[in-house]
Amino acid sequence: MPPPIPSRAPRGTPLYVHLPFCAAKCHYCDFFSVADEGQDLEGMIDAILAEAHVRAPHAPRTVFLGGGTPSLLPIPLLRRLLDGLEQVTAFRDHAVEVTAECNPESLDGEKARALLDLGVGRLSIGLQSLDDDILRLFGRVHDAAMGLCAYEAARDAGAPNVNVDMIHSAPGLPTRTWREHLRRILDLEPDHLSAYTLTFEEQTRFRTWLEQGRIERQAEEVELLQFAITREACSAAGLEAYEISNHARPGRECRHNLVYWHGEPYVGIGPSAASKLGHQRMGNLRAIPAYLGAIERSGTAIDWLEELSPVRRLAETWWLGLRLSEGVDPARARASAGFEGAGEDPALAEAERLVERGHLERVGERYRLTPRGLPVADAVARTFLTRLH
Amino acid sequence: MDPKLIRNFSIIAHIDHGKSTLADRMLEITGTVQAREMKAQLLDDMELERERGITIKARAVTILHEKDGVTYQLNLIDTPGHVDFHYEVEKSLQACEGSVLLVDASQGVEAQTVANAYLAIEADHEIIPVLNKIDLPHARPDEVAEEIESSLAIEATDAIAVSAKSGANVDLVLDRIVERIPPPSGDPEAPLRALIFDAVYDEYRGIIVYLRVVDGSIRARDRIRMMGTGKVYETVEIGRFSPKMKKCESLQAGEVGYFVSNIKQLGDVRVGDTLILDKGPAVEMLPGYAEPQHMVFADFYPTNPGDYEDMRDALETLCLSDSSLSFEPVTSDALGFGYRCGFLGLLHMEIIQQRLEREHDLDMIQTAPSVTYQVLDRHGEEHWVHSPGALPPPDQYEELREPIARVSMLVPTEFIGPVMTISTDHRGVFVRQEHLSATRVQIVFDIPLAEIMYDFYDKLKSCTRGFGTLNYEITGYKADDLVKLQILVNGKEVDALSSIVHRSRADTRGRAVLKKLRKEIPRHLFEVRLQAAIGSKILARENIAALRKDVTAKCYGGDITRKRKLLEKQKAGKRRMRQVGDVDIPQKAFLSVLGGESKS
Repeated sequence: MPPPIPSRAPRGTPLYVHLPFCAAKCHYCDFFSVADEGQDLEGMIDAILAEAHVRAPHAPRTVFLGGGTPSLLPIPLLRRLLDGLEQVTAFRDHAVEVTAECNPESLDGEKARALLDLGVGRLSIGLQSLDDDILRLFGRVHDAAMGLCAYEAARDAGAPNVNVDMIHSAPGLPTRTWREHLRRILDLEPDHLSAYTLTFEEQTRFRTWLEQGRIERQAEEVELLQFAITREACSAAGLEAYEISNHARPGRECRHNLVYWHGEPYVGIGPSAASKLGHQRMGNLRAIPAYLGAIERSGTAIDWLEELSPVRRLAETWWLGLRLSEGVDPARARASAGFEGAGEDPALAEAERLVERGHLERVGERYRLTPRGLPVADAVARTFLTRLH
Repeated sequence: MDPKLIRNFSIIAHIDHGKSTLADRMLEITGTVQAREMKAQLLDDMELERERGITIKARAVTILHEKDGVTYQLNLIDTPGHVDFHYEVEKSLQACEGSVLLVDASQGVEAQTVANAYLAIEADHEIIPVLNKIDLPHARPDEVAEEIESSLAIEATDAIAVSAKSGANVDLVLDRIVERIPPPSGDPEAPLRALIFDAVYDEYRGIIVYLRVVDGSIRARDRIRMMGTGKVYETVEIGRFSPKMKKCESLQAGEVGYFVSNIKQLGDVRVGDTLILDKGPAVEMLPGYAEPQHMVFADFYPTNPGDYEDMRDALETLCLSDSSLSFEPVTSDALGFGYRCGFLGLLHMEIIQQRLEREHDLDMIQTAPSVTYQVLDRHGEEHWVHSPGALPPPDQYEELREPIARVSMLVPTEFIGPVMTISTDHRGVFVRQEHLSATRVQIVFDIPLAEIMYDFYDKLKSCTRGFGTLNYEITGYKADDLVKLQILVNGKEVDALSSIVHRSRADTRGRAVLKKLRKEIPRHLFEVRLQAAIGSKILARENIAALRKDVTAKCYGGDITRKRKLLEKQKAGKRRMRQVGDVDIPQKAFLSVLGGESKS
């Protein structure tokens, strides 16, 4: 039974668009995507535009085309999508940041120029590794050379703002090699680098392989080391870590993603896309036929909805906010959760306890993770998520 | 029915000697239950009983048996076989005049058979010896009959040899019950006196009271009074067990049955109480039962503090049908509010725990079982100590005494050596040794009850290849070099993990406990230090290293709800966690300590 159709979000609300197709599913990936072969890409674009018509906010501050692999769309379809969104939202005049996720196999000079022409200003390229064996293990359909070519193509096309996605702690990846790859990437002078520790998410091939013993996870020390040297090397290259896995040149932090970590509202359209509006979080149907059917019937495809209680809002603010190097301002956390004064703030006592233990530090009015707290950010988050009442 | 045609009896047997099977055959042969309705072990109606193949609660059934053209009413009151349920056996025996002593013809007389048979002898029962499993190739009826005679001084030359499984000769047992067991001696014309020997709670009908009419009779719509509690009720329904409850008009002197009266107040009914007519003439109360002696204490804490009230209701319900269970509120720094429960023994404790979980759907944490200690203070006064947490500091008492059990073990002669060894290892003092027959011997030791509680029975079983059996009774308290073994988590004593042990064992036990805790307590944001100590003296340490890496690499808008739920997953598990200071101790950690010393 679908929850009530939410009203259109206020003008300026950030917009996320989910394109659920990839050339092939990567073995570690747990985002919702399917192989594009034989899919009705056009039908999907039209459905997303139909949903935008009902739900997309006017003049969004930021737009993010994610997936899946948006760059996989042929140029005419990209045009149809972005022109369509422009008609509904007028994002081209208002958005300060428009990102499209790209993969090397579908990003050449022509595609990059087309994206820029259509109003995209930020390209996020999934390189993931510079080791061909590891790329094969990951199930990627490109090699390291193609990755570097895609980056060059983006720059040659004049992309002003480029992010590179990388993964460390892959099975068998020596720290020395990672250091070397990192240097080569930083030498390209990207504006932004997302570097993730490899994870073994549920319902991925990697998880199955791990359980079957077909691949081996790196030792905890190695994961910690590769995590630490990534921050160091990025910092030395002028890209400060502003989030657990994200590094940027000053002013090039991803404004769209900051919305998530700040707990601000956003609208997501497309299969499986989530939204946060007011004190509610909701998500769309995942299965493509179900999504298409729902859109055709009603213009929306909301599958689930949760109401966030004040305590949960407070805990979420701390959890997500502590992922950022700027940390959390308790007063703002309280305000977003609807708590009156510091006297009734249950999070403060937890935060102070974590300060005593050396996992948090206080800088001015804000709390943030210490170098000791950073690698155990989830355990810190858990104390807020499970202990506040 | 004419009391002369009534016979009330019970069956005394060791576990696995075939008591329930014999009862089933009796029901079948007499047509009380049709063969197609027959479920094996019909009398054991609690799920747990059926699962474990042991009888916990006394049950009753009325059987009609024809002999020489006359129909007799035989009331079988089933008794539990396990040593822990000694008290239940006593209750059942008081409601009848005779017993069938059932002994496995290959296993022979076992320690519990002896203990229960003595109870029957004390209750003035006529005893009918029966040898079971006579069709088994290893049956040795003559030798076992000799064992019965030498261990119990009961004439057994005419013991009936049966196979409860096939039903062979079971009719002879029924005949002999009619011939040998005297009819009830009560006066049918006298004012009503009935003995409450059991009670169960039914959600729809209230309390169902099991009774044995001693004098007079009881009818539906009688106003009756329970002498002990003084409560007055009108009987709504009277009936017999056949074996299902079956309504009848009245129960006469000598008969066994039940009544229902919409009693919802659990405290109103007390097993052992005497039932009389409210407006009837004054009569003497029937001899009550001795207060049960609690041997083992443990604390139950609801995992979810909101369940505290439900737990009390559940314990009250269990107490109703099990007057040998006791409980009182208790508070612990580490575990919050809970109840200290007194049990007859370890099996009793385990069964209560499982019934609370299964029948009342409660999640709980149970502390290590402890015996009751006696402290002699500096002023020469004696105090009872039911838990390690309640023990005063050593400088405030003269002596710490523990209960001593006289343990009687029946074992095949070739195992005398190993049995002596484990008994001595468990601080036992030899009392005597007696040969029951050429192949079986009775060995008696005085052993501290606390030693028996942990693993003595398991050890006896394993060192006698399963042939050894034991029975015990508490003979008194004795001072020894006992100390409180404290368990500290990050410097804070956790009373639920502490125990009282003999000084010579403190070290080994302390180490074993810490090893188990180390395995069960998850890694935290900080190092968790575990220590075992006597006073300020640290005996053992273990450390659980702090978490080093626990961080989600990717966390974006589409995924926040799912990731949060993953992080909160531990919250569901948290219901089974307890916080001691900042340390989360899972219930499993508490339970793992229960096993006592690691099996060597």
